[in-house]
Amino acid sequence: MEAEEFLLVRDLFRSFAGRFRIGSADEVKPSPRAAAQRALAELGLGELRRSSPPAATVQECALLAEEHGRQPLTTSLLGTVLLAPELLRVLGAGRRSDSGTTATVALARDLRFPRADTSELVAWDCEGADSALCVTPDGAVTQAELGPLAPSADLLRGIRTVRSPQRIIGRLDAPGHQHWQAYALVMVSGELVGAAREFVELSVGYARERRQYGQAIGEFQAVQHLLADATVALEACVSATRYAAWCLDNEPPERALTAARVAKAEVNRSTVEAVQAGMQVFGGIAQTWEHIAHLYLRKVLLGATVLATTADLLVPLAEPEVTR
Amino acid sequence: MTDTPLDFGDPADLDRLRRDFRAWLAGHPLPERRPDEPLPVFLHRWHRQLHSGGWVGLDVPERYGGRGLSALHQVAISDELGACHAPGIPRIGYLAHALMEFAGEDQRRRWLPRMLAGDDVWCQGFSEPGAGSDLAGMSTLATRHDGHYSVRGQKLWTSYAQYSGLCLLLARTDRGAPAHRSITAFALPLDRPGVTVRPLRAMNGDDEFCELFLDDVRIEESERIGAEGDGWPLAMTTVSYERNALDTGHISKYGLLVERLRRVARDRRGELPDGLLSEIGRCFVDYEVLVAHARRRTAERLGGQAAGPESSIDKLLMTRTEQRLYETALKVFPGELHEEGGELFGDYLYSRAASVYGGTSQIQRNIIAKRVLHLPSLSKPPNPGAT
Ligand SMILES: Cc1cc2nc3c(=O)[nH]c(=O)nc-3n(C[C@H](O)[C@H](O)[C@H](O)COP(=O)(O)OP(=O)(O)OC[C@H]3O[C@@H](n4cnc5c(N)ncnc54)[C@H](O)[C@@H]3O)c2cc1C
Repeated sequence: MEAEEFLLVRDLFRSFAGRFRIGSADEVKPSPRAAAQRALAELGLGELRRSSPPAATVQECALLAEEHGRQPLTTSLLGTVLLAPELLRVLGAGRRSDSGTTATVALARDLRFPRADTSELVAWDCEGADSALCVTPDGAVTQAELGPLAPSADLLRGIRTVRSPQRIIGRLDAPGHQHWQAYALVMVSGELVGAAREFVELSVGYARERRQYGQAIGEFQAVQHLLADATVALEACVSATRYAAWCLDNEPPERALTAARVAKAEVNRSTVEAVQAGMQVFGGIAQTWEHIAHLYLRKVLLGATVLATTADLLVPLAEPEVTR
Repeated sequence: MTDTPLDFGDPADLDRLRRDFRAWLAGHPLPERRPDEPLPVFLHRWHRQLHSGGWVGLDVPERYGGRGLSALHQVAISDELGACHAPGIPRIGYLAHALMEFAGEDQRRRWLPRMLAGDDVWCQGFSEPGAGSDLAGMSTLATRHDGHYSVRGQKLWTSYAQYSGLCLLLARTDRGAPAHRSITAFALPLDRPGVTVRPLRAMNGDDEFCELFLDDVRIEESERIGAEGDGWPLAMTTVSYERNALDTGHISKYGLLVERLRRVARDRRGELPDGLLSEIGRCFVDYEVLVAHARRRTAERLGGQAAGPESSIDKLLMTRTEQRLYETALKVFPGELHEEGGELFGDYLYSRAASVYGGTSQIQRNIIAKRVLHLPSLSKPPNPGAT
């Protein structure tokens, strides 16, 4: 996209996000949730990468994921608008899921990438979806119907069980599979970065306003250093995620996958640290059900387990790539 | 700035440059370090060799002895040096930036080409015994006479002054004015009468930094950089670029050690104690994140952003990478602790200084809080480190 075009899309998205963001956990309710998802679908962002070559770069999509993460939104941008359409795109030119259906992606029950045994899957980020696409470790792509809602600590993100049987709809070749994994890791990372960034900004604002001992708490060096460390952690995430997204646009998928794993490893650790630091700055108020802090905490905490946990990533990254 | 897509460079263009460089390097390999040759002397020889091929100051304008390319090109060369296990580009970028921004045109033409060529080696005379973090509290005084200054005072921690010809010196030119408007910068030739350089031994045994005694040293007005009172903004520019990951040769050095640890991880998989494997993975992540971060800064700089207070973020990321890396390396190679003069142990000791030199980690956090996050200043007691 041209720079101005991207800014237009982003602003469109921001005004959507401003309208549908929720103010507290009590506002997570089925019918406003469905309405928000319809409004998101109407933005047509799922088309962004359907043309050939795609109209939007991966970096631009990652920026939209970041915007989505910034607000407490109950919508599925990642699952239904970014990940499933990209998977279908990589599978074959012009392919869509069964007509009239909206797909999200299926993950293992613990939300990691599906492993060999696909008997227990969940449809992740399933708001507005009626089917889920699963990529097995050997690159086969299956599609299945959705079952009932599954409980999750992340109140903003819908998760449902997946019914058997699953139908095979195609197969990814090795580079396609690497691209897909890298893309998914980058989009999830982008959304978590957005969440942590927004929350740290909110806590910085609070530190300027809130007064104790006759002065703003942001004047205390202990508070300043807490927020400075959170900022460093966040900037590391931003750099790693942006760079991995750029690699997907410009480098071979294998390199992009390493960059994406690095980004997710950084994000798993640092976004949680940053949100926890922000909560400390808010003090007691952030410990309440009404405050949005826990919506952010839940998102990054669960997000750190999605697709690949820190343990999944660090051990393989400890050894040189075989092909180097 | 980071809310919009970034351009990390044209891979094809950079690949061409890398190929040219590799071809040149094949004909001009890294020289041997002579026995007893001090490291700075060896690195200086290497600097001159690189310069002879046109590989220093790629991003400096041609009229100042550079090649007029972009920072991306310079970074690509640093990467290549790292990949072939050679020491990085000499650390002159941050001094060059200070001169480009503050020196007069004839001074720039006089000093920059010689700095890039290695004809002049510069050191940085900022810190004093009484003025470390609180740099503005320096007391070295430059008294103005007719057409020249006379300087009296003491500097401390001046790295490699014993191998340098010129010192970028800060001194007070006005005792009355507020600190930030009374400091002036000079280019002091270290062979001037009245200058005494005394090396201090660092804990790893190296002679890195020095004490500098200035005993009524005469400095010409033509050696003043910028106007009187420009010293403070010049110092801030210098340290901003110094803290930036791009202008230091560190990154490639970290990369080599990370790869060494990863090879051990592969070869001695079963033998490594629990948890060490993930620590090595963590070091790789830190390193790759730092590389990505440096590239992002390059992209931002090409987008027109000058180095500012956000380089304190870069410095903390660099420190985190370096310190964890050497801590992990000592666990992977515990034998280093029982050897006399082990190189890795020496590097570990030096890594402890990463959170001190170029402004301590606490000072970097103060800067981020005040100048990046714009948090308020303490209203009651005087506000330390807010500069
Ligand atoms: C290897 C090395 C090379 C160096 N090279 C050079 C060089 O080439 N040229 C040069 O000019 N200088 C150089 N330095 C000096 C370096 O910049 C100073 O050491 C540094 O700025 C800290 O000053 P200080 O040592 O006086 O410590 P101090 O300022 O005395 O600090 C002591 C402790 O107090 C803390 N502290 C101080 N003020 C605050 C505050 N406001 N808030 C919170 N904590 C605070 C510090 O973080 C630190 O932990 C070098 C130092 C080293 C270690």
